[in-house]
Amino acid sequence: MAAVDAADARGRHAEEQPVVSLLTSAVTIAEFQLRRMLTRSRLAVAAIGILFPAAVVAAVGRTAGFPIERDLAALLIYALVPEAVCVLALLVTMCPVVADELERGTWIHVAVRPNGRRAMILGTFAAAVIWTTSVGTLALIPAVLVSGTEEPMRVFSVMLGLIVLSAAGRGALFALPAVIVPKRAMVASVGLAVVVEYLAGLLPAVINQATVSLRLRSLLVEGMGWRRRLPAEVQLLIDTQPPSVQVLAVLVLVTLLLGLAVVIAERRQFPPSEEI
Amino acid sequence: MVTDQDPRAADVGEPQGLPAIDVVDLVKHYQARDGSVVLAVDGVSFNVHRGETVGLLGANGAGKTTMLRMLVTLLKPTSGTASVDGVDIREDPLGVRRRIGYVSATTGVPDRLTPRETLISYGRLHGIPTAELEASVERLVGVLGMTSYADRPSGRLSSGQRQRVSLGRALVHQPPVLVFDEPTAAVDLLGSRELLDLLAQLRSEGRAILLSTHRLHEIERRCDRFLIMHAGRIVARGTREELLEPSEDSIEDAFYRAVAS
Repeated sequence: MAAVDAADARGRHAEEQPVVSLLTSAVTIAEFQLRRMLTRSRLAVAAIGILFPAAVVAAVGRTAGFPIERDLAALLIYALVPEAVCVLALLVTMCPVVADELERGTWIHVAVRPNGRRAMILGTFAAAVIWTTSVGTLALIPAVLVSGTEEPMRVFSVMLGLIVLSAAGRGALFALPAVIVPKRAMVASVGLAVVVEYLAGLLPAVINQATVSLRLRSLLVEGMGWRRRLPAEVQLLIDTQPPSVQVLAVLVLVTLLLGLAVVIAERRQFPPSEEI
Repeated sequence: MVTDQDPRAADVGEPQGLPAIDVVDLVKHYQARDGSVVLAVDGVSFNVHRGETVGLLGANGAGKTTMLRMLVTLLKPTSGTASVDGVDIREDPLGVRRRIGYVSATTGVPDRLTPRETLISYGRLHGIPTAELEASVERLVGVLGMTSYADRPSGRLSSGQRQRVSLGRALVHQPPVLVFDEPTAAVDLLGSRELLDLLAQLRSEGRAILLSTHRLHEIERRCDRFLIMHAGRIVARGTREELLEPSEDSIEDAFYRAVAS
């Protein structure tokens, strides 16, 4: 082994541009996490997630008759894919970001790298969004086809956008319990989803402005052209600003939530017995 | 034998010059689940110089791991200061992480990655340019004797082979300071000896090495100095010769005496 040139070793990569360095680190973690997700058991669970919405749509179609009326099909697919499938996929990909590493004894080895902790959060978030978007999109295709609805391309394109935003928004939301209560992250995330997304999100008050569900509902209404047909009381459950504002609001939420998760992860300390 | 009554007392037998690791009166409290405060590290001071191996000895629960994890910035000290290669662990933890390599008893080597992939992945976390990283990894694979299994998933490797991967991971960014926490705990006799031989080689290259273990016989003649830790404090320190009483013939005897007193 070549002798250590201490002067060379000292801060050898310290002058690396911090943003580039962080991005490289996050991409490395994302690649690693995606690879870890490609196990038979995960793929089997994903296959169930992909086929489940189409099965439900088929069951509804048998009762209501095919083709399913466009608005009913859109509402059904929205509840099944951007909401149910995306949230479930994120629960298994984003929630264990810290707990899995602690359990495998890899957290300490990542955390002692210059960008380790923040790259772990950001890289896992990227992997979770890619995985969730892929599963959601694959679930969407058979669900739309089975529904036999008119304007399938419109339903598909609106839902695709909602899948991406749901994955990003809820992924960032679930990053918080993942870093605050890593060992109970999944339970805490379910609680967070119910309380914040599905209860606070339905309150016609200022608090719902900070939820992803309000933005998704508003985009769904706009995308499907339902706004003028909605009863006045239902109008209270959506935001009337243009779609670009809704998308921007989700991006702001993602930035804030992820930023907070990164700060908490940087400060989080685990006793040696927990870190292994 | 020198005890640790004065936290700033100069280390016996220590080399002169700026230390690569400098610890001054470091304290770490934990809040236990029952609300009580656990004093894991209680006013520890010591230093390690370049080209030196210092053994940190202590029984389970002595505070060794907490001590080392403060040094590598995994834990924040309650009070006191420490620097690694001149960089303060509180003020610039990222700077410390660039200068330190850490090996623990549990290797935490990802099962699905091969040793080569593991080294490349962790090297990328340091922002090392690809060409330079690949050259560095090739060199490490050769030096650490991993050529025959460098492309085999780590899940199929023996514990000794995994510990070599872990060592390579700690060296991939060529740190001047190395911290080892029970590196031979899960390794058989042969693997342990090979690992310790590698440490001797790293020391001869001018790296500062802090090595924690409770397998005293393994490192008795491999460390330049020893720190004996008990109940969060350093209760004795010095070279082997300085620690041994005339009637004693192994560091184990000195350890038992220091801990018992």
